[in-house]
Amino acid sequence: MNLLEITNQTWITVGIVAGIFSGTALLIGALILIVGKVFKVNVDEKITKILDNLAGANCGGCGCSGCSGFASKLADGSGKLADCHVTSPEKKAEIAKLLGIELTEEEPTVAVVKCHGGVENCADKFEYKGNPTCASCASLLGGNKACSYACLGCGDCKAVCPENAIEVTGRLAQIDPDRCISCGACITACPKGIIERIPSSAPVFVACSSKCKGKEVTSVCKVGCIACGICAKQCPHGAITMHDNLPVIDYSKCTGCLTCVAKCPRHIIISRKVTAEETPATEKTA
Amino acid sequence: MATFIAIVLSAVLTNNFITAKTYGICPFLGVSKKTSSAAGMGVAVTVVMVLATLVTYPIYTYVMVPLNFEFLEIIFFIFIIASLVQMLEVIIRKISPTLYNAMGVYLPLITTNCAVLGVTELVIGDMSAILGEGVAMNMGWAVLYALFAGLGFTLVMIIMSGMREKLNCYKMPKALSGFPISMVTACFICMAFAVFGYIV
Repeated sequence: MNLLEITNQTWITVGIVAGIFSGTALLIGALILIVGKVFKVNVDEKITKILDNLAGANCGGCGCSGCSGFASKLADGSGKLADCHVTSPEKKAEIAKLLGIELTEEEPTVAVVKCHGGVENCADKFEYKGNPTCASCASLLGGNKACSYACLGCGDCKAVCPENAIEVTGRLAQIDPDRCISCGACITACPKGIIERIPSSAPVFVACSSKCKGKEVTSVCKVGCIACGICAKQCPHGAITMHDNLPVIDYSKCTGCLTCVAKCPRHIIISRKVTAEETPATEKTA
Repeated sequence: MATFIAIVLSAVLTNNFITAKTYGICPFLGVSKKTSSAAGMGVAVTVVMVLATLVTYPIYTYVMVPLNFEFLEIIFFIFIIASLVQMLEVIIRKISPTLYNAMGVYLPLITTNCAVLGVTELVIGDMSAILGEGVAMNMGWAVLYALFAGLGFTLVMIIMSGMREKLNCYKMPKALSGFPISMVTACFICMAFAVFGYIV
């Protein structure tokens, strides 16, 4: 049987080809349909609705692989709605309604660098002459700072900040809380993982990330937290607990009495109140 | 045995799909930013290559050649591969969610990827230079060639992604940073693989 020799008229050939294709298309279409029916996956309707309300930026700021991953996490209750910083409050209220939870009025957050070991406070392990990026520096013995939790000060965070909120002075990055939009770009960029989000109204924060014990910290840094626990004992509101040799502040209990700031022997719990009061003044002069 | 070695060397090193034939450049440049995603893409392409050859080779030899409409091969193969990938995605999603999370996201990207179409076209063409004298092409050799072509693809993907990850640590002149330096890297990988052509 030879299809092309049945006729030498072109239009019949074209007709045959068209016939073959529509036949195959019908066959394959039916096959896909059957396979799709047989192997149907029941997707939770809730997830699709949540996904519709999410911002869809797929930024990964929540720690999931994308918005769909976050939506399924929300649906089974293991995710927190506050982890998403992109979705608008109205949409979030809608999602909360879908999930049947109360939308807690959430605080805006800002990022802070949890290190105060600049050049004068924390010595160098060795002289680093490689490429001036934190990622490159950190890949060499964890960086050239004596403390392995220290800010390397090469400014990878500064390079990714979309708001120019980060300034590196004396090999120590600092974030301007007024400019910070809490996008989390610096948090992902920092190879040491020492940038964290705190509520923007937080009165104090711990400017150290060292999980080492007191003796090791004193040998490398002049200001690092020595895990003495005085702050936890002295806090009149019980807002501070010690975890991994570092104080952890529960901002829902903190009233901003600044007892911890006064009592800390290393002055590593830093008051943000002062800077917040100063800022309007500098704005007036400027 | 000689044919087996010839197929492996040719598909993986001397006639690598990316470096020598320049097939599959879009995933090569697009999905090679991270080693994990490059490996996932490589595995997905390998699986689809083998499956596509398994389906298209018998269709070509036992249906299209006897009926004398080989001239429709390209469009027909696109047809078959696209629907095959579609079905594969649905099936994997049902059978193994873990596998789907690791590989499923890359499957829609390679619906008739040129590397996949390339391997199905190559195995029905003249392969006598690789197979050696007196060895006829058959289903087994075709699938073997597809498998090692996919593995060669994966190899180059992983090399490229490793180099790109390393390059991210360095400060680059503005004009070179990002995509331009990736093209230069790709060029060096191709030159390195070109040398394999002289040892065989």
